Amino acid sequence: MSENNKETGALGQLYKTFFAKHWPVWVGGIVLGTLNILLFAIKSPWGASGGINNWGENVYKLIGIFGLENAKPTGASFYGMLCVFLVIGSFIGALLSKEFALRIPPKGELIKGFIGGSLMALGATFGIGCTISAFFSGMPALSGGAIIFTIGLFLGVIVALKYLMWEMEKFPGFSSGKSYNFLAGTGKSGIWQKWAGWIVLIITFIIAYQYSGGNKIMTWFIIIGMLMGLISQRSRFCIVKAFRDPFMTGEADGSVGVMAGIFIGLFGFTIIKYFGIGVGDIALRTREMTWVFPHFFFRAAIGGFIFGLGMTIAGGCAVGTLWRVGEGQVKLWASALGFLIISPISKLYIVPPIVDAIPQSWDFKNYLPDYLGYPGAFALITLIILIWYVFVKWNEKTGKFSAY
Amino acid sequence: MDTKINETLDCKGLSCPMPMMKLAKTMKGMKSEEVLEMLGTDPGTKSDLPRWCDKSGNTLLDESELAGGVFRFLIQKK
Repeated sequence: MSENNKETGALGQLYKTFFAKHWPVWVGGIVLGTLNILLFAIKSPWGASGGINNWGENVYKLIGIFGLENAKPTGASFYGMLCVFLVIGSFIGALLSKEFALRIPPKGELIKGFIGGSLMALGATFGIGCTISAFFSGMPALSGGAIIFTIGLFLGVIVALKYLMWEMEKFPGFSSGKSYNFLAGTGKSGIWQKWAGWIVLIITFIIAYQYSGGNKIMTWFIIIGMLMGLISQRSRFCIVKAFRDPFMTGEADGSVGVMAGIFIGLFGFTIIKYFGIGVGDIALRTREMTWVFPHFFFRAAIGGFIFGLGMTIAGGCAVGTLWRVGEGQVKLWASALGFLIISPISKLYIVPPIVDAIPQSWDFKNYLPDYLGYPGAFALITLIILIWYVFVKWNEKTGKFSAY
Repeated sequence: MDTKINETLDCKGLSCPMPMMKLAKTMKGMKSEEVLEMLGTDPGTKSDLPRWCDKSGNTLLDESELAGGVFRFLIQKK
């Protein structure tokens, strides 16, 4: 209490607004949707699996295996750096709110984290994207494949949730056992976390500034990545939660938060594509097709399903994993490790032979406005969001589809 | 102030969704008016649990932070 009383000035109040309590998820969703539009305006929309894959490639480059010596260094990769600073942003958010701690779970949870991360890597390679690029950005990008990927995700989450419930019933010991918690910021002794948070924030801006001379886009990717991590941590923005909770506890808040972000993104992305904003030297058609992947529809369906399984078992999608890494959740460190180790391997060796056997054209990209026009495509995505909203709110009230 | 605790659920070290899954399952097996003590370390539980209590009709009697970053919740079944 005494610590709270010290912060009564205007700046103290502002600080409390951001860091005393978690934000409503829908606030996080709206801000993240807005930042996603800014990323698209600057270069291209938000994505996470590509950045984690870049980390993995650099690990193998360092070890000298798989012939990845030409992998782009993370410091030169927009999405590699976006992911790095997403983790750092979450670290800053956790420190400034004194929520950082090294949380080491029981062994079974670590195993689940690693397996979940590995499955996500496989799913992202199959589906050409993760919950961010192929869903949270893919739906506003008016991609037909994103709708298929979403259906796959949804089915994967249901199956994995059934597994988690079965595991809890039959093998409760798997998620129990010895756990450790280090460096927690409880009480006055945790004040160091706030100082550390400010220091890391300042260092982030210094690094962003370092790039501003020759690579202004990277400067903004660093700043936006950091903000995305911080906002995700404060609002507990989580796409697994959005799909899973209606079928678990019946809660709809996580879903509504994600819907808010997609809807805001839909407005911005449609305007950018329709008017060709930021088209520069590239063709208007190329700008329109941004984040519309050639995964329609088998790759999207299979990838979404595997990704849905993985993120539910891990307890965080690509972004949910990254911001929980920054918060000190060691289970998600295992997930990130599984993701980055398996991603380059699945790209090089596992997915290509399977993909060759799938009856699907690799040149075809399903862009909804090609069939429905911009108004029709916008209306279709809006309708999907609306149906999803009505369903989760109805289910929240009635509990018809929730397990508990 | 001295609430009688009927059961304790230890979710220390667990992250989302395990604490809420275990909580919901444990509460299902308890009788009306009984009190569950839940211990956890996932910051997400601080916002998930009160929201779940609101919606499920159970009562969050107390919420505190113990040494070492452990959150403690007392929940009474409706």
